[in-house]
Order: sequence, then C-alpha cells, then structure tokens
Amino acid sequence: MESSIYKKKRNLLVFLVPAFLFMAVFLYYPFLKNIWNSFQNISSLGAAGKGWNEPWYSNYVKMAGDKNLRTALFNTLIMMAVTIVGQVGIAVVLALMVDNIKRGGKFFRTVYFFPIVISATALGLMFNLIFLYDKGMVNQFLEMLGKTGLTDWKDSAHALIIMMIPVMWQYVGFYFVILITGLNNIPEDLYEVAAIDGATRWQRVRYITLPLLRNVICTCVVLAVTGALKVFDLPWVMFPKGMPLGKTWLTGTYMYYQAFNTKNVDYSSAIAVLIVVLGIVTSKIVNKVFKEAEY
Amino acid sequence: MKKRVVCVLLAGAMVCSLLAGCGKKTGSDSTAGDDKTLSVTTTFAGEDGNAQNYKDAVAAFEKQEGVKINDSSATSDETFKARVETDFQAGSEPDVLFFFNGADANSFIEEGKVVSIDEIREEYPDYASNMNDDLIAPSLVDDKKYAVPVNGYWEGMFCNTEVLAAANVEVPGADYTWDQFLADCEKIKAAGYSPIAASLGEIPHYWWEYSIFNHTTPETHLEIPTSVDEGNGPAWVAGMEDIKALYEKGYFPENTLSAKDDETFALFTGGKAAFLIDGSWKVGGIAAACQSDAEDPSTLDKDKLDKFTVTYVPTNGERKATDLIGGLSMGYYISKKAWDDDAKRDAAVKFVEYMTTDDMVAKFAQHTASALKAAPEVDETQFNSLQVKAIDMMAGVTSLTGAAQDLFNGECRISTFDGMPQIVTGEVSAKDAVAEGLATYADQTAE
Repeated sequence: MESSIYKKKRNLLVFLVPAFLFMAVFLYYPFLKNIWNSFQNISSLGAAGKGWNEPWYSNYVKMAGDKNLRTALFNTLIMMAVTIVGQVGIAVVLALMVDNIKRGGKFFRTVYFFPIVISATALGLMFNLIFLYDKGMVNQFLEMLGKTGLTDWKDSAHALIIMMIPVMWQYVGFYFVILITGLNNIPEDLYEVAAIDGATRWQRVRYITLPLLRNVICTCVVLAVTGALKVFDLPWVMFPKGMPLGKTWLTGTYMYYQAFNTKNVDYSSAIAVLIVVLGIVTSKIVNKVFKEAEY
Repeated sequence: MKKRVVCVLLAGAMVCSLLAGCGKKTGSDSTAGDDKTLSVTTTFAGEDGNAQNYKDAVAAFEKQEGVKINDSSATSDETFKARVETDFQAGSEPDVLFFFNGADANSFIEEGKVVSIDEIREEYPDYASNMNDDLIAPSLVDDKKYAVPVNGYWEGMFCNTEVLAAANVEVPGADYTWDQFLADCEKIKAAGYSPIAASLGEIPHYWWEYSIFNHTTPETHLEIPTSVDEGNGPAWVAGMEDIKALYEKGYFPENTLSAKDDETFALFTGGKAAFLIDGSWKVGGIAAACQSDAEDPSTLDKDKLDKFTVTYVPTNGERKATDLIGGLSMGYYISKKAWDDDAKRDAAVKFVEYMTTDDMVAKFAQHTASALKAAPEVDETQFNSLQVKAIDMMAGVTSLTGAAQDLFNGECRISTFDGMPQIVTGEVSAKDAVAEGLATYADQTAE
C-alpha cells in the first residue's frame, strides 16, 4: 500500500499536465509568438501584424546598426560585472563576517535582506530624491561641508554609476541570505578539526568555507548575471528613456522603450529575443567558468 | 483511495485557477449583473487644475444617478495615451473616456470602437445640443465628430515675478519679441538664475511647438512638411536651431538634459528659474505648489501664488506674441462596447451629458475656451490670482492655433522629441533629426 501514487506514474500526470499547460499558455506560447512578432510589422501594442517585414529579418539587421542598442548591451555587460562583484562579492564578504559573529546574526540577516522587500519603484523614487540636483540629500550634505554650487549627479559623467549603486545595494541582501544558508550547511566538525590542527581563521575560510560554498556562489552568480539582463524598473524610474543623452540604456529599458514609447512592437520583440539568447549564452559561460564541483 | 481523491481535487483546483483568468471579460470593471457601473478614464488627475472639480462632479453624479463610476483617470502623458490605446486593442476599453481628438484617436476610430455624436443623437436627440457643432473638432479619420469638448487649452509663458524682479526684468507684454527675450535671459542668467525652466531630456514638447510656430504662421502652422526643404520644413529646422542656440547660451537649467519635468518645474516654483512655457493645466499645478497640502485648496499661500503670472510667448517671426497654441483638443467619447450594452448605454450618455452641461463646462473651462453655444457668466471672485491673470491674458489673445505635434504623433516624433538632447548638444544636426521624423511620418501616412 506504500505510496501507490508514486508507483503508478500515470497519476503524476494529473499534477504535471496542469502545470505544463500553465507554462505552455503563459510562457512558451508568448515566447514563440514573440519570435514570430519579431519578423512582423506591428505598429502598436495589441494590434495584429500588418504582414511580414521587408525583408522579414530586417529587425535583426537594424539591431546590428542601432547605436542605442550597442550602448544598452555595453551597459548591461557593465551591470553584469557590477552584479558579480558588487552584489555577490559583497554578499560573500558580509555572509562570512556575519557567520563569524556569535551574537546578532539574525539582526544582520533582517537588515541586509530588508531592501529586497521594498518595491524597486519606491527605491527609484527614493534614490531620485537622494541625488536630486536642487535640494537633493547628497547636494545638501555637500553644501553643509562647504561645497559651493550644485552637482548634477544624473548628468552624463555620473549617470551610469548613480544608476548602478541602488541596483547593487538592493540585491546584496538576496544573495547574502542564500550564502548564509549555504554556510549553515557546512558541518561545524570541519572547523573544529581545522582549529585543532592549528589552522588560522583565514585558512579556515580559504580552505574550508570557500571551496564548500563554491556551488552556492556559482548559483548566485548565474542568478545575478541573468538578472542583470532583465533589470528594468529601478533604472527606468531614475533614468527614463536612457536619460541623459541615451547614456543609461539597458537591454530591458530599451526593449520597453521600443514597445511602449515608440510603439515599434516588432523591433521590441526582436530585442526580447536577443535578451533571451544572451541570457542562455551568458548563463552557459558562467556555468562553464564556475563549473560546479563535487566533494 | 483517499490520496487519489486528494490528488484529483488538488489538480482540479489548479486547473480551475488556470482557467479562471481565461473567462470572457464582460466589461472592463463591471461585475456580472451589475448594470449600475461605468468605467471612465480622463486626464483630470494629478496636477491638472480640474482634478478636484472632476472628483466632485463624479461624486455628485454617482449620488444623483446611483451609478458607480470606476475611475482610472491619470495625468495626460505618453504613458496615458499608450494605456488607452492598449486597452482598446485588448478589448478592455473604458465605457467613457475623455481623450484627445487629434491623431492620437485615429487607431480606435479606424476600428469603429467609439460612437459618433450623430449616431448617439439618433437615439438621444439632445445629446451635446448645448455645444456649437462648428467648434467640435472632426476626426482626422472620417471627418465625423466623436468627442464632446469640455474645456479648451492654451499654451503660454508663466513667469516667476520674484526672479524677474531680482534680475531687474519687466514682466513681458503683448509685444514681446525674441530679441527682448534673449536680452532678458542674459540679465536673468547674470543675476544667478536659470532663465528657462524646461526638461529638454523629457518634455521638450512646448519649446518644440513654439519654436516651430515662431517660423510659421497661424494659417500654415498645422501643415506637416513633406521634407526639410519644402513647405514648413525649413521652419521646423530653424525652430530646432533656436532651441539649440538657447541651450548653448546656457539659458536652460544646468540639468535640463538629465532632469525630469517635475524637477525643472520645482526650480520654477522654488524661485530658481524665471520662465516656463506650459499649458493651461499648469495654472492648477502652480497653485498646488503654493499649497501646504496639494490636495486642499484652502491651504493656498496666496502671497506666494501672487508672485506668478502668465503672459504671451516671445515671437521670432511672422507670428504675433499674442498668437498662441491652443484650442479644444479633447472631449468625451462613448465606446462602442458601452453603446452596444443596453445596461450601460443610458448611463454612459447620462454621464457625458452631466459632465457637459453649461454650468459644468463653465466650471471646468475657467480661463480656457469652450464650445458652448451660450456660455454662462463667470464669477471671477471664485478664482485665484493666477486664474484671473490667465483670464486677462486670454482676453488679449489674437488667435489660437492647434498643436502640430497632435498631428505628428507616434514614432515620427522620436527624432526631435526624445532626440532633442542630441540636437542641442550637436550630436545630431537639426536638419537630420527633422528629416528622420518626416521620413517616418511619410511611412506612417503611406500605410
């Protein structure tokens, strides 16, 4: 009588088919339709295609010469690097430090995780106020320190870094919590044995913690890199339409702009296809570089 | 057996929840059997000067007719336009909408998704009978009239008189020329203020319109050129060059390319910029900025509001300074979906009739034009000082011309609207940007 539900595989279908249908209707069909749309001439949202583009692959040719898309791809690459170093890197350091303190671990977990629960739009508005030109928090603070004249923190020279700071800051806590969970899974015995053998604290981190945390870090890096391709809300709130001078385009914001502002839906679909392809390629590369190790 | 039952029940629940979202939508916000609900969207929201009037009118209508209004009004911007268009495409359009009557409405009129005034009058002969039909703009698609107008609009130049006084500059009058404007800007800049509050990176619309208008005439302004060398083409290029010259002289705020419109507006109301070209709806926005509670007019700081005025836009060509951009660009539409629904048809007609009575239109129009046959007398004592100044300014207007950008909309605007920062910084020449927009316009109109 034991678990007959698992012996008769047919019963599993009852669960699997609805889930598959859900995925098929809300993910795979739209995805395939999106590929189809990228070859069609669609001039407004929700409208049917007016036939094939001339030639049908014209959007992909256009992408090759699109200066804004090049900027978006370049900025997204920078964003990936920032997420790896700034999000996962800082999260590793914070996790190691919190793991090594005896009291207050729960407090820090809550503190670092908190930004995740705030909506990105609200954070975007908040950082807008922080970096506001007139009466912004940073400029007021600098004024108090004796600086004369206001700094435009959102101009061409600063825009990219100002956009990336809040994105980085928001997600550190997410990876921090994943890494802390990974750290908790490392048996305490190993550290005790190492301590008896005279290993220093750094040696314990270097030869026990980091190798055993490798797979978790790998997962975090894959999530961070693919997440960087989709970043949209916070940058769009702070720097709509690639402001200033198209310096802050990301693949996500540029795709949205093409769909909702210029109503070039087919071109936007082509950019969406590019984002998916890039997502697959980059996650493959990351998996290759950070190949999971078995211990 | 028990497990199997649980298993089937769980799977059934999953399927049901999956299919729950696939049911036929009977109306954008109505529930089955509820025939006393109307979905309405307008632009009477945010900083619009009529936002409160609209809220009051909706509440009074609900009370009088017992109809629940599901309101999704939002600030009038490109996002609002995109939302309305998408709603129509997706079949979830509102029952009644207050929307533009220019090219923005073409898509849903082409698809027959709104009902013409004449068709409504066949069943409701008194519908919009208080309006002068000659002043109701016909659709660009089929020349039929669909939208019942309420309040018109104008675009003028608001001034912060405190900044002007600090720079020893007179408030511009009806004969204000471009050279005088440039001289004033220089004085204001020398006094340490930004002469012009504008976000060229986000909302260059008003400067775009007037800079072109400065090189056309009220008679020719709405002619979209076929190329940069023909018709109004050179005027369009000259207009863009004028904005570039102003930028190069440093008359816009330092952050004009990176700031959003609300930031540069705050510079104006905060006494750091002197001039702001904007629409009649900004009268309400400036008043709200002078209130300690933006939602409560009783908290208005009258002394602060007195420091603002509105005047004519400097001219740089044949146009007189008193020739302004304006007109009746919006009105109430009834969707075909609501019209075909017996439960909603009457309520939709009643709602539009209620919102367009003589008294209601006079209340909404304030200092702007209306299409009423017999406009009631306006009691100026109920207006704030800026509204009174706007009425005075309007008394001296020599003509109101529609906005060329209402005809030149969508993708063709991108090169000169979103591309304005590239034009003023010289990354793209004004001629190339205009040519790109006109080529896109030609493609759009050819389709």
